[in-house]
Amino acid sequence: MTHETDICIIGGGITSAMLAQKLSELRPGVHVTVVEAGRSIFDVQNRGRYRERANDYGEHPWHDDYIEDQQASGIISMTMAVGGLALHWGGACNRFSAEDLRLKSMYGLAVDWPIEFKELERYYCEAERRLNVSGAPSLYAEDWRSQPYPQPPIPLSYNLQTLKAWAEKSGLKFDGLPMARNLTPFGGRGACCVYDTCGEVCPSGARYSPDFTFRQLMEPKKIVLHDRTLVRRLVLDDRRTDVVAAQGFHQDRPTDPVEYRAKTFVVASGYCWSSHLLLLSTSSRFPNGLANSSGLVGRYMNGHSFISATANIDDQTFPGQNMTHSLISRQYFRCATDKPFVRHDTRVWESSAGRDPRLRTPEGRLLLGDELMADWRSRTKGSSVRLRAYVDVHPSADSRLTLDASKKNRYGDPMPKIEHRFDDATRARQAATKAHVLNVFGTLAKASNGRIVNSGESDYLDHPGGGCRMGADPKTSVCDSYGRTHDHANLFVVGAPTTPTGGCTNGTLTFVALTLRSADEIARGFSTRR
Amino acid sequence: MQRRTLLHWIASTAAILPFQRLRVLAQPRELTPAAIAMLHEISPTVLPASLGAERVRGTVDKFVQWTRGYREGVALSHGYGHPRLQKTGASPVPGYVSQLAALDADARAKGGKWSTLDLETRRALLDAAFTRAGVRALPPRPMGQHVVADLMAFYFRSSEANDICYSAMIQREVCRPIAITIRKPEPLR
Repeated sequence: MTHETDICIIGGGITSAMLAQKLSELRPGVHVTVVEAGRSIFDVQNRGRYRERANDYGEHPWHDDYIEDQQASGIISMTMAVGGLALHWGGACNRFSAEDLRLKSMYGLAVDWPIEFKELERYYCEAERRLNVSGAPSLYAEDWRSQPYPQPPIPLSYNLQTLKAWAEKSGLKFDGLPMARNLTPFGGRGACCVYDTCGEVCPSGARYSPDFTFRQLMEPKKIVLHDRTLVRRLVLDDRRTDVVAAQGFHQDRPTDPVEYRAKTFVVASGYCWSSHLLLLSTSSRFPNGLANSSGLVGRYMNGHSFISATANIDDQTFPGQNMTHSLISRQYFRCATDKPFVRHDTRVWESSAGRDPRLRTPEGRLLLGDELMADWRSRTKGSSVRLRAYVDVHPSADSRLTLDASKKNRYGDPMPKIEHRFDDATRARQAATKAHVLNVFGTLAKASNGRIVNSGESDYLDHPGGGCRMGADPKTSVCDSYGRTHDHANLFVVGAPTTPTGGCTNGTLTFVALTLRSADEIARGFSTRR
Repeated sequence: MQRRTLLHWIASTAAILPFQRLRVLAQPRELTPAAIAMLHEISPTVLPASLGAERVRGTVDKFVQWTRGYREGVALSHGYGHPRLQKTGASPVPGYVSQLAALDADARAKGGKWSTLDLETRRALLDAAFTRAGVRALPPRPMGQHVVADLMAFYFRSSEANDICYSAMIQREVCRPIAITIRKPEPLR
């Protein structure tokens, strides 16, 4: 079966939703088709029950949001469904800072992004508006913004007010984390009711998830969404370098190929599956896959590592008030150019770590009934505080996504294998970075008779990106700053895969902002009069 | 179908069913009345007596409801960072029934019904039962290792128990206006 469309978007996550929404506004006559391998999960009315089952039985609240034979080694989430990982993200909407885009010119590290921060900032504002972000202007003047947040900040819980007063005794300034969480109903979604399961499922829809956007676009037929359809390869024109078709299969029709023919193709499949699709799309003219004349597709896979700790302090909090909200300090987003390089955010959460009910005393005596309650209560004086820093680390070219011939899906396609590697400079400063972060945590803990009781380092990179990094030079990058691939004029990659480096704070807002900028460029290819 | 043919079909079907399958079919799908009665008998020992008899009884009733709502073979949370596909296992109910019967037998071997034993004897029996079941810590939620540990987890991991512990209306798992959270939680009434 063949489908004709103007713009074919491959992937159905948050960047796809934002792209489809914006294109439908900029070019309402243009036919947009979104193709997603996973299924649609649009039963909003059942999410309260799913949350209960998740709490009571540990069940995954998004049923069948994965495809068992379409999994990658080294991936951070199994989810493959309409909405993508943003079905169950926490909603954190931090901005990167200007330094992220100027690492080479400021510090001689990694690469500069081919985009000015002032330009990106415009799209941050747009992303915040579309996601209805709740936030307060940063307390640091360097974090200027051209427009206010669309919503006031999420009110700090009593616990976070207490922890903010504690943490600021260190000299760092802390804000509430900006989040895509409705304080009042917006965009067909409800207001926050503090279910406190943002990262699993939000029954009211207060925390943004892309399924709402897709439904709102599909019902008035502004776009077409084909779910459960896996695009396996992109096909080039016989003579030119334009992509002419995306080919795959619907899950229910494994012997009946489906083909999408379009003027423009956009790969919006996230950090893993975007590179994977390009690498699979080999031909005699492009034996290494599409958009890969540089050999960099699947390379420079990035993200940020993190260091965590728990502090015990005397100030009293009441765990459970709003555990999914947190504080952030942007103090160390900046680093003086004449000092050893270290960049990270600093986050603070309420916590009950080490203060939960326990079955036995440290001596091993079994606690029963009121004894257990008394033991628990005796350990609730003061507070535990969860601390974490996302650390700016830079990938080497060998930080790669490759095709793993030993693992294939039902169609025989090799599955991706992701192995992160740091560049030499990152590895050289790792010990100093860790010492710096632990020193910051230690400084925080000093107030309120505090002390650090444990700490640990990540064994994976969070908010991963890369694999199709952007740049001005086709020899050292896969696409330009709009995501247009250097090799194929009508093929774009958007969002996380295009980032050259992973920053030192949550990446989703940046992925969306970059995509909204891509949308402007993609729309320019289509007349407004159709 | 003739009666002889039907009997032959039943006999041949039974012959090819694996014994394991037959055993599963014979297992209780719900807690038996005797098991529920035993759970009620044990509950004042392992749940806070300060709740009062009615709330202790109500907690057991809710736990029994929990066992009825259990579903086998459902995907568990995949996790993040290092995700993996895991599914809920077989119903814990058959194990629960056996464990409660064993505790009843242990109590009788010590000279009486559970409720007539002194606290240290009851503690020793539970300690041994938990050790046999591999329970070392309070489960994060009922996990099917031992019925009494699961009953304790069911209560002590609840929002209600959290409020009682802190003597405050935190209402961790209750849908509530966000504005409430900016104030120090009200003392528990």
